[in-house]
Amino acid sequence: MAEEAEKIENVEEGQEEVKEEKEEVEKREPKVGLYICTGCDIDKLDIEKLKAVAEEAQVPVIKTHEALCGKEGVNLIRDDIEKEGVNSISIAACSPREKWDIFNFGDCKGCVVDRINLREGVVWSHEIDEHSQELAEDYIRMGVGKVQKMEVPVALDEEIEKSILIVGGGISGISAALEAAKAGTEVHLVEKSDSLGGMAAKYSKVTPLKSPFKEIEDFNIQEKISEVMNDPKIKVYTSSKVESVAGQPGQFDVVLNNNGNTVDFRVGAIVLATGWKPYDASKLESLGYGKSKNVLTNIEMEEIMSNGGLNADSVAFIQCAGQRDDEHLPYCSSVCCNVSLKQAKYIREQNPDSKVYIFYRHMRTPGLYEDFYRTIQDDEGIFLTKGTVSSVSEKDGGVVVEAEDTLLGERINVKVDKVVLATGIVSSMEGVPTTKEDQAKLEEEGVEFYNILNLGYRQGPELPILKYDFPDSNFICFPYETRRTGIYAAGCVRQPMGIRDSIEDATGAALKAIQCIDLISKGGSTFPRSGDLDYPNVFLQRCTQCKRCTEECPFGAINEDEKGTPIYNFMRCRRCGTCFGACPERIVSFKGYSVDMVATQLKAVSVPGPEEEKPRIIAFVCENDAYPAMDMAAMHKLKYNSFIRIIPVRCLGSVNTVFIADTLSKGIDGVLMLGCKYGDDYQCHFIKGSELASYRMGKVQETLDRLMLESERVQVKEVAITEYDKIPQIMDEFVEGIKELEPNPYKGF
Amino acid sequence: MSEYLEGDPKFVKRIMDAGGGTLKKCFQCATCSVVCPLSPDENPFPRKEMIWAQWGLKDKLLSDGDAWLCHQCNDCSSYCPRGAKPGEVLGALRNIQISQYSYPSFLAKAFTTPRYIWAIIALPILLIAAYFSIFGYHIPEGEVMFSHFINHQHVEYAGFIVGGFVGAVTLIGLWRFWNALSEMDVQTANDGGEAEGVDLNTQMRGGFIPALIASIIEILLHNRFGKCGESKNRYFAHMGIFYGFAIVGFSTLIAFVYLLMGRELSLPITDPVKIIGNFGFILLFGGASLAIYDRVTKRDRIGIGGYFDWLFLGVLWIVTFTGILLEGMRFANMVEAYYVYLVHLVVVFVLLVYAPYSKFAHLAYRTIAMTYAKYTGKDTERLGWI
Repeated sequence: MAEEAEKIENVEEGQEEVKEEKEEVEKREPKVGLYICTGCDIDKLDIEKLKAVAEEAQVPVIKTHEALCGKEGVNLIRDDIEKEGVNSISIAACSPREKWDIFNFGDCKGCVVDRINLREGVVWSHEIDEHSQELAEDYIRMGVGKVQKMEVPVALDEEIEKSILIVGGGISGISAALEAAKAGTEVHLVEKSDSLGGMAAKYSKVTPLKSPFKEIEDFNIQEKISEVMNDPKIKVYTSSKVESVAGQPGQFDVVLNNNGNTVDFRVGAIVLATGWKPYDASKLESLGYGKSKNVLTNIEMEEIMSNGGLNADSVAFIQCAGQRDDEHLPYCSSVCCNVSLKQAKYIREQNPDSKVYIFYRHMRTPGLYEDFYRTIQDDEGIFLTKGTVSSVSEKDGGVVVEAEDTLLGERINVKVDKVVLATGIVSSMEGVPTTKEDQAKLEEEGVEFYNILNLGYRQGPELPILKYDFPDSNFICFPYETRRTGIYAAGCVRQPMGIRDSIEDATGAALKAIQCIDLISKGGSTFPRSGDLDYPNVFLQRCTQCKRCTEECPFGAINEDEKGTPIYNFMRCRRCGTCFGACPERIVSFKGYSVDMVATQLKAVSVPGPEEEKPRIIAFVCENDAYPAMDMAAMHKLKYNSFIRIIPVRCLGSVNTVFIADTLSKGIDGVLMLGCKYGDDYQCHFIKGSELASYRMGKVQETLDRLMLESERVQVKEVAITEYDKIPQIMDEFVEGIKELEPNPYKGF
Repeated sequence: MSEYLEGDPKFVKRIMDAGGGTLKKCFQCATCSVVCPLSPDENPFPRKEMIWAQWGLKDKLLSDGDAWLCHQCNDCSSYCPRGAKPGEVLGALRNIQISQYSYPSFLAKAFTTPRYIWAIIALPILLIAAYFSIFGYHIPEGEVMFSHFINHQHVEYAGFIVGGFVGAVTLIGLWRFWNALSEMDVQTANDGGEAEGVDLNTQMRGGFIPALIASIIEILLHNRFGKCGESKNRYFAHMGIFYGFAIVGFSTLIAFVYLLMGRELSLPITDPVKIIGNFGFILLFGGASLAIYDRVTKRDRIGIGGYFDWLFLGVLWIVTFTGILLEGMRFANMVEAYYVYLVHLVVVFVLLVYAPYSKFAHLAYRTIAMTYAKYTGKDTERLGWI
């Protein structure tokens, strides 16, 4: 008790320290230093004029250097921080994506750094003329205005639990547990059945797990299970179910039903490894299943092989049984071809005189499993053909498989002793209600269902499904990410895969879970703004309980109280700013990104009168794909129109409609939003930011009508990082469209 | 054909042993048929043969005339992404067809079974030994004259006997082959399957003889070989062997006329017949050497062939080599020339007597297969003007 009291006291003391620090930071008076680099072609601009612009804006310290990123340049800035008291540093040089490690003054307390992109943003991407000079001058004004408003982010400081929960004790769960434990993390491993092992424990042998990927292997899962059971860092709960999970990463409160007893504990992150279930073969009557006892599924075949084997003279395998078929599973389970090749080998090994036929639609043996395919193919008793099986029936004392469109150039009939259907993998999330509405509906209909995680999230009790019941996230580069921060899916629950891939997947997911805990314990965000300390500050007093933020948050970070007031769970937050973009009351802000900051930048843009015929356009550009694409275009020296001013944003989802109104009412002629692809194969790093931006633009129509402006003035365009070559076309076409319109009548107001 | 299709691992193995060892590697991408300069658009080879071979579909493979339309230029093997070497597989199929249809079949079997090589060689040795036991064996003194060793007339008559035998059994083999080809086409048509471009109403096509003539002209011109991309060398090698053989055969015929005229056949090197004969021999030797060189140097990419191929090619090469050697030794007046002559006679026997069972028979089978293709309208090339 005494110890605990001491602990609490320590925590309180710690919090007080933080408070003091916070106050100190908040008290800071910004003193801006503008540093213009003249290297890398930037000196093609009129630097003196740029300095004059800054002087006009009353920037106290303005310096230039020919290579600001060199030691001398960096020391120049450091000197000013120390001696001149500069604390708001604006670096007018290359893109903020470059040399961020060099221009990092994070060790200087109370300093904020912002970048003005003169190199990629102006000189490398525009013809050097009066227009690009004006562009650079606007950027200087916008940059020094913004940096003045920027505040130092204060890291979240919460007590973080570092253990992880792994749900599912199959090969994925076991592997994740072992890997996490090896990395020094405490693990709670929950399995619903009375023993570990899952589906993999049923297999007689497995497809190759190691190089050279040629031979089927024995797989001793019992060894791994005993490793888990004997690991002091792993606590195993068999015959257990997760009753509920509340809280947020670092503070997930888990309640288990362990054999009827309630167990609760706290974990920092969760790995969901609940695996898969076989497709219901009773739906495959057309392939003879259920009609003939000699028609088996691949799972039944596996069970037979584990229990003494099958002595058959001839066996036919039918691939894609109930798969890649709109009436059944629309997708490919990716492992069944390998499994059938493996089972063909079982049969051939057991009876060397046997004949095995494999009818496939496409032989799919991903990656190095091609070598396995080659090896099995070499067996002269295994006959393969592409073809469509049109019927399977008992006839003439055997099972007759009729196939059409075979490579043998005709319709063929093959008579065999047994037929094996290569049925597919269904995610264990199938049939699990992921939203409260779905759950209510099932309850109403009296359909039996179960929950897996039962999360205390406003947006629903389970991980959101991406497609076909798989709770994936569509992050191309980050396979284990789900749409719930701190919860990582591994193995067949998120995508069909074999044992080897499951082990790899589990290892990756365990690592991500550990990494997540590490990041949040430092107050940082997880992917894709890894380590970002800034988080939304919400002024709840002005909240109107419209629920837009709680509904739109792509990560379900915001809960609600009974009245509908948002309850932010910052450690679930990925800092995309979707809530910021959603809020009609504009009560959400970041230390480095706020309505005020954007407004200041908009104000800083000089708008020439209509007679000058110099339209002005603002482009809100997503920092994840579109902004790097623009940098790449610049590096390729692709040129685009100089009338456009870029404002980078965290995500198009963080573009508040007030920006549009602000922009247009200032006399700026058009607003372009560049973000990621959305829709079915979305590439938005924050799931639906670009989609939301597009949706919100429908609403902006009202504003435009009120201002009596044409709708073409505001457009959302999609661009991927690889499409940098399209940047000039997108930009120029937009400007041409704007030029066709009358100048914005609000110019000069 | 039975109602049910059945894979036959034993026949698969047989093709693999006959030189098609890589056939199971095929994954039916059809690159072979696409790159083949000879393959037709409809039911192209070698793709269909590859999958039949993988299933061991004996009936189809044994009566597949298309295997002979392939001249094994090996573009397919060279481009095959899996190393399945379709060129080698079709070669193996041709070998199997030769041994399947040639008569009597025990001789055919001897030629496909490496361990019987000794029996094959032993037969001519025994025959020569028998000859010597009748006519007496002695190494003549003085200037090397083969006629003093073995009577040329005996050799020529032996040649006619051999020729008659070879001709007769080859015709039997070809007859069986032709029937198999047409039976399969009729059956395919009856089964309602695709008739593979075959027009069973052959009357429209102008009959057998024009088809045969067209085929022979095509063979003489080597214009199918000429289309080969990967191994241009084969074109020259085959040309050398083919015309070398023809010229040697022609000179042997004139030599027989000399013999009837009572002339001594150890001709001087300036004799026109000797000149023609030597020219033929040089072509043969060059062609056979080039063929061997080509196979050895390209063995990884396009395959080195099987026992059946090498038995023929090896015997051919030894025949030409010993022929040149013994002629040189005769002019050098070396008494050892007689022993080389004996070796030469043995290999010539092996080459000619066993021709219907060895790869040599391809000469006849390919001609018939090409004729069949033209006769049935499967191959329309050159039918226009003949």
